[in-house]
Amino acid sequence: MRINCPFCGERGNDEFSYLGDASVVRPDASAPDAADAFYAFAYERRNVAGPTQELWYHSAGCHAWLVVTRDTRTHEISDVKPAQDIALERQNSASTTP
Amino acid sequence: MSDLANGLRAEQHSAIVERPDVAVTHISARRGMLAGLNDAARAAFGVEFPLTPRALDAHGMTIVWAGPEQWLLIEPASKGVDPSLQHAKTFSGFASVVDVSDSRTIFQMAISRPSDVLVQSMGIDFEDTSFKPGDVAITHVSHLGVMVWRLPDGRGYEFACARTYTKDFRSWLDRF
Repeated sequence: MRINCPFCGERGNDEFSYLGDASVVRPDASAPDAADAFYAFAYERRNVAGPTQELWYHSAGCHAWLVVTRDTRTHEISDVKPAQDIALERQNSASTTP
Repeated sequence: MSDLANGLRAEQHSAIVERPDVAVTHISARRGMLAGLNDAARAAFGVEFPLTPRALDAHGMTIVWAGPEQWLLIEPASKGVDPSLQHAKTFSGFASVVDVSDSRTIFQMAISRPSDVLVQSMGIDFEDTSFKPGDVAITHVSHLGVMVWRLPDGRGYEFACARTYTKDFRSWLDRF
């Protein structure tokens, strides 16, 4: 499997470390259901057969955190974005949501 | 091994030298400060820092992309002078500036064409059409983290590795 790092270009997956599900979002610690939400955040994961968003770290390369969209059935990678960009998108959409 | 192969091998070995004469400064842009940093770089060096994996010669130094919004400045060392202090003043408020001269070893390979050492060591396409003068790659050699760049003037290649691994990296290069 090869991953197209947005900074370095296409590299073998030996240069990357898999860090887990990138779709989970840290819950609001002040919410009334925070304890349950943090339990789900830490432990509950979907076992998806299809496209998933995963966090990968370019550990032997540019040290960038990446969000990789990968199909778990075929290993086909359809998208790779810097995790920082995804975080900023989420931050912006959260701040514009009434 | 043929005489020709032996000759090439000897040429490659003699071409790899450690550069003891350089000061290396690591520059890391602070969040949201890239534009200001590049304005300061343009004023001080006449160029902006490369935003893609590229190296360029400017102001008597080589500026090497070292990851997103990070660079190494490699320049001749003079005794008793720490160039990172001047860089820290130049980029004050825009970047974190650290003297890493003692934590990096720079090797130079003075060859114009990719050698077996390069091709067989790293998972990078070193063909002339893919890895052109000024191109940079951050990768690994048998699990040792290495930066490699083709000198902007095409005279050869340089490598930066953690000083801790200097002997191991050199030993790996000498296997070819």
